[in-house]
Amino acid sequence: MLTNAPTLETERLILRGPHHDDAEPLMDFLCDLDRAKGFGAYDNRSDAWRWFALNIGHWHLHGYGYLTIEDKATGKAAGITGIWNPHGWPEPELGWAVFDGFEGKGIAYEAALRAREWAYDPEGLGMQTLTSNIVPGNERSIALAERLGAWFERKYENVYMGEDLLYRHPGPAVLDADGSVEAYA
Amino acid sequence: MTRIAFDIPQLETDRIIMRAPREDDIEHELDFYATDASRFVGGPLRADEVWRQQSVIMGHWQMRGYGYWALDCKESGAYLGRVGLWNPLGWPEPEVGWTLMPAAHGKGYATEAALAARSHAYDVLGWDTAVSLIAPGNAPSQAVARRLGASVDYMYQHPRFGEVEIWRHPAQDAVAAGRDA
Repeated sequence: MLTNAPTLETERLILRGPHHDDAEPLMDFLCDLDRAKGFGAYDNRSDAWRWFALNIGHWHLHGYGYLTIEDKATGKAAGITGIWNPHGWPEPELGWAVFDGFEGKGIAYEAALRAREWAYDPEGLGMQTLTSNIVPGNERSIALAERLGAWFERKYENVYMGEDLLYRHPGPAVLDADGSVEAYA
Repeated sequence: MTRIAFDIPQLETDRIIMRAPREDDIEHELDFYATDASRFVGGPLRADEVWRQQSVIMGHWQMRGYGYWALDCKESGAYLGRVGLWNPLGWPEPEVGWTLMPAAHGKGYATEAALAARSHAYDVLGWDTAVSLIAPGNAPSQAVARRLGASVDYMYQHPRFGEVEIWRHPAQDAVAAGRDA
């Protein structure tokens, strides 16, 4: 095991810690300059490999990081979602990325919703609030953040991404009281 | 959420404990990477870059089963720097590497720890050969490589650091023969 990540489940997906086999599809994604533009793309696989190692180290330093989204139907890695908070980040963020061939199926929403539930769960990370950092113009991610009930809070300067939009998610108390996120959808 | 327990072997030399890297090593590395003394090893680096570097080092251990140890001085407990085995994707060959805090230079610590790391590579991991990447002009590091019995094998164009010297270490047989002699 590369990390001590939990295994989470949704109807169509398994969210689990990164495996060795996840490195190749992750590097494919990170080196896809169009697809990974809003996430932080790399122009070479060596740097992408380092990001994979960075995520594992992030799990060790923080006790959380990005989970691999495994598609139950195919068993393939469909993307990543999780909580990201490297040095210099404004706050822990709920992040997501879906790989080539898995878009347009609501996978990011289903996965991010489950990851947020884990982050807020007292038995999980017990966090009280979450943000998502989105580069201006990434309409697809903005739409998903809003579908998750998050709202635009402020702009800030991200050292890697430049000007970045900070979206604030509803906290655990609000979500608990409401019973579901659907009120925001 | 508990953080994972590292399954990283601890090595010991005459004067040094070589242990798993920890989060609080970052503050020492920050001091080093803030100065021009780090210019031969990719520095200077910002605080967020040093954090990521430490994180990549930890991930490398899990990915490869080996990596950089953190060095503590047995006598004083002081953090001395990093020595270990490095082979991220795209590296020319598996490497024995060292970066020491400026205050730890000139005492033979790098040589002492690199010998232990190299022995681990040969005896435990079964490496047939090992190299060290050294920036031209990094005289202190070249001296360490020479003391370890290594010599320049070829030049390598590193995508980030530019041209570096690849120093080839004596193979395990040669090291063992030297030990027996």
